[in-house]
Amino acid sequence: MAGLISRGFLGRRRPAEVEDRLPPGQYLVTDFPVLSAGPTPHTPLDQWSFTIDGLVKSPVSWSWDAFKKLATETYKVDISCVTKWTKLDTKWLGVSVDTLLEAVQVDPMGRFVMAYSDGGYTTNLPLAEMVKGQAFVAYQFDDKPLEPVHGGPARLVVPHLYFWKSAKWIRGLRLMERNQPGFWESLGYHIHGDPWKEERYSGD
Amino acid sequence: MVQPALEWQAGTVTAIRPETRQTKSFTFALPKWMAHRPGQHYDVRLTAPDGYRTERSYSIASPPEQVGELELSVELIPDGEVSPYLHDVLMLGDQLEMRGPIGGYFVWDVAIGGPLLLVGGGSGVVPLMAMLRHRAAKHATLPARLLYSSRSADDVIYRDELDSLAASDPTFALFYTFTREPPVGWTGYRRRIDGAMLGEVIKPFDKRARVYVCGPTLLVEAVANALVQMELPIEQIRTERFGPTGT
Amino acid sequence: MDNDDGDMNTALMVDGNAVAGQLEQIFGRDMTMTVARCAGCARDAAMGALLAFIRGPGVVLRCPACQNSIARIVETPTAIYLEARGAAYLRMAPQP
Repeated sequence: MAGLISRGFLGRRRPAEVEDRLPPGQYLVTDFPVLSAGPTPHTPLDQWSFTIDGLVKSPVSWSWDAFKKLATETYKVDISCVTKWTKLDTKWLGVSVDTLLEAVQVDPMGRFVMAYSDGGYTTNLPLAEMVKGQAFVAYQFDDKPLEPVHGGPARLVVPHLYFWKSAKWIRGLRLMERNQPGFWESLGYHIHGDPWKEERYSGD
Repeated sequence: MVQPALEWQAGTVTAIRPETRQTKSFTFALPKWMAHRPGQHYDVRLTAPDGYRTERSYSIASPPEQVGELELSVELIPDGEVSPYLHDVLMLGDQLEMRGPIGGYFVWDVAIGGPLLLVGGGSGVVPLMAMLRHRAAKHATLPARLLYSSRSADDVIYRDELDSLAASDPTFALFYTFTREPPVGWTGYRRRIDGAMLGEVIKPFDKRARVYVCGPTLLVEAVANALVQMELPIEQIRTERFGPTGT
Repeated sequence: MDNDDGDMNTALMVDGNAVAGQLEQIFGRDMTMTVARCAGCARDAAMGALLAFIRGPGVVLRCPACQNSIARIVETPTAIYLEARGAAYLRMAPQP
């Protein structure tokens, strides 16, 4: 059924001046929408840790204090959510996944990663798409500490994939042999999620 | 009895009435109107020429006794997507895609009985108003009370109607509380709803009260928690969370 | 919590009433009065009373007592997915 077109309803914006920066089917937003699968976790920083485990020679964990001492970089990236909003030029400060992986020896079989968060959220990614500057664990947004509603104290950011892969409240990365689907990937969302190929749903 | 399938239909705007500076009531004629239960809502859908679609839910303000038409009261959310369209673009005679009536949990009608305590904040008063209008249409005398939280007197939806109802119906008691700017000379409540206020308002009903709480999520959470602390049986509490307050 | 500036994420949370239309499309009947028993903490709640997170890629319905995920719904252009492993059972009246 085609349905009624609502007279005078223009929907969302795809301004001509940034047209080439918006992936297909996306609309520009200038605020920062809050989307979540559950309540905001509130892990006290003295109980927080970040771990790399799974198919690694030996797992490694950082406390918050130790994590804050790791080398950081600043990033300015565009982010696209599968719910169709794109935000341009977002500014972050964080630790690149490359830096984190220097602390472990990844088993050759460990080609995929499950990112896992407080509250039970998970998302899977190919390891090859997390290295070489493609992914980082951020704890500052727009020059301020990352707010809990946006994933603070720390979240994963993987700008080249749909933002559901940028796990909020991240606590670790688990190296795995097979590309096991995470929270949304196991319920109809695309296993990979490239916005430029519009890989929104499984079967796309 | 098999429930008719829930399907989208095109409602036609037959009246638009401003209630406050932020809220308007819209009356619709529906090809397939059916009597709803007070507290239910309709889902509304907008479609742009490029196929982009968005949906919202709005509580029914009118009672089922208002046969053949449907009234929705909508608060304008300044950075919203749908409410600005309804407030600023929609005109008499326009069509709006809607489906309903929806919901079986947050409903009250006189058959359920009382005593009835309605607690609302902001646009949360809308489904509660449907309940009160239905109660009035049935000339019910079961005791009812409304505790209604607003920012200021200008933000009280249905003010005249509520005041009239309170003046003319000895079995209905009305309590306003103002959280930002009470009216000049106001001697009533002037703070967010809390346990102490609820305790006073619920007193005549005690643990027999059937309570319906509706409005911004944080208000609903606070009120529901307070009612549970008062040991009101949980089966007597029904809640509907509207999400964040509009500014 | 009596503070409107409290956690925005909680402020955005709604409940099963908000997805009542979607549930009715899936099940062919109103589901807000259906009781879900949480597989995590074994408490019962009407589906209209489940906490709902609706702004993301899908809907997550959570137990109001322990916040465990009870059910998730995703709508794609070609399918509706429903996962309800978090419910020990759903209990509803015989067809009205």
